[in-house]
Amino acid sequence: MAKHLVTLTVNGDTYDLVVSDNQTLLDVIRDEVNLKGTKRGCTTGSCGVCCINNAKGEAVLSCLTHALEWDGEEITTIEGLEADGELDAMQKAFIEYGAVQCGFCTPGVIMSAKAIINAHPEPTKEQINAGLAGVNCRCTGHIKVKEAIRNDHRIRELGRGTRD
Amino acid sequence: MLLPDHSYVKAESLEECLKTLRETGEKAKVIAGGTDVIFNMRLKLFQPEVAVSIRGLKDLLQVEELDDGSVRIGAACRLADLIDHPLAGGRYPAFRQSLEAVASTHIRNMGTLGGNICLETRCWYTNNSDQWREGLQGCYKTDSELCHVIKSSTKCHAINNSDTPPALIALGATLTLQKEGAKREVPIAEFYRADGVDFSVLGPGEIVTHVTIPPVSDRQVFIKITPRKGMDFSLGAVAARCDGEGEQISNIIIVLGSLVTAPVVLDKPAQVVLEAGLTDDAIEKAADLVRDELGEVSNLYGRSIYKRQIAIVLVKRALTQLREQ
Repeated sequence: MAKHLVTLTVNGDTYDLVVSDNQTLLDVIRDEVNLKGTKRGCTTGSCGVCCINNAKGEAVLSCLTHALEWDGEEITTIEGLEADGELDAMQKAFIEYGAVQCGFCTPGVIMSAKAIINAHPEPTKEQINAGLAGVNCRCTGHIKVKEAIRNDHRIRELGRGTRD
Repeated sequence: MLLPDHSYVKAESLEECLKTLRETGEKAKVIAGGTDVIFNMRLKLFQPEVAVSIRGLKDLLQVEELDDGSVRIGAACRLADLIDHPLAGGRYPAFRQSLEAVASTHIRNMGTLGGNICLETRCWYTNNSDQWREGLQGCYKTDSELCHVIKSSTKCHAINNSDTPPALIALGATLTLQKEGAKREVPIAEFYRADGVDFSVLGPGEIVTHVTIPPVSDRQVFIKITPRKGMDFSLGAVAARCDGEGEQISNIIIVLGSLVTAPVVLDKPAQVVLEAGLTDDAIEKAADLVRDELGEVSNLYGRSIYKRQIAIVLVKRALTQLREQ
């Protein structure tokens, strides 16, 4: 199988990678860039655990796209949220509101949540529902996740969330 | 789990893409967003030797207004970008509703309009992995002369499950189809065929390049019923559009989607409300006629008897909403 040289910027770091035709973006993130935070779930677009953000900060599924399609593009994975050893406000919100159980889907859910905040800094209930429709948490459910997302901006501004 | 072996070609121009498609013939599969093609490759329903990407083709990314007031949309435009576009979702409310109805935000951020129009047909048998399917005999889509949906059938009854086609048919859209050295315009109402395997009039090496929607009145509606809003394929969908004021209408088209192998344009129900106006009686009478126009109803989710009932409910709701507009 033919191999191709691809330049991909992941979390601000640029990688020159040798990629084969049949690798998806998910395969490359996990096996070539070696960032294991992005998870492999259904690989058919139903569960959303492979969610990453594209250069525009939108949620996309890395399992449903050829890696070669992303030559020269920039992406953000869950590892890219932490800055200078400090977690992102959304990650803090997930911890504060207990929006985690087994944790397998959490990277995908948080990247979907980030995409919601990127488009709507203080999202409405409908915007949160629409943004989370493509992810599927099988254990903790979506209630605490929604609470965490609703409080993301409060954590960002005040350093803590509120219960409502 | 890697994708099955195949080579991947990212065409630099539309000409190069069409040339590659002619040269590779049936071994090739056109890919844009990837959400349906890679999905079907994972299920081993698609086993292309070559995947030809049209995602970045500039020729297919424009949304422009033509001199006659029509809007021409490139087939590689992402669904998410069209929702709020002033010339697309912003101008045609039913089109907007149908775009918003497609799968999830994640899928809409990747999937394209051309991909939704050319979405592979589905049924409860083919929408499962190859290991799952091994438990039963193959079908017309795989390797046997059998349809699991309607056992006695001589053809595939997989459903056309995409959301934008009913809306585009109601709006009177036209598709531009291109292959190397040839270009033709086909009304989207004549694009689909009543066969789940060979479900469109696309010829070998031919792709949908543009969708042109004529200027129409704002009296239009799209409704989709799903098990879970925001992700699932449709149990049934309806799109309708009319001209005129209040109950008196001068022109109407009603289209049902996701029930059979192709979207269904309902002629007799439309005739009833055209003659009698959108009165309660006429809407009831029109809905009563829906059952006769459906033919054999196939299934993905839900039994066919349920889907027939849904068709009636959808038509009633659509006509009632049109009356209120």
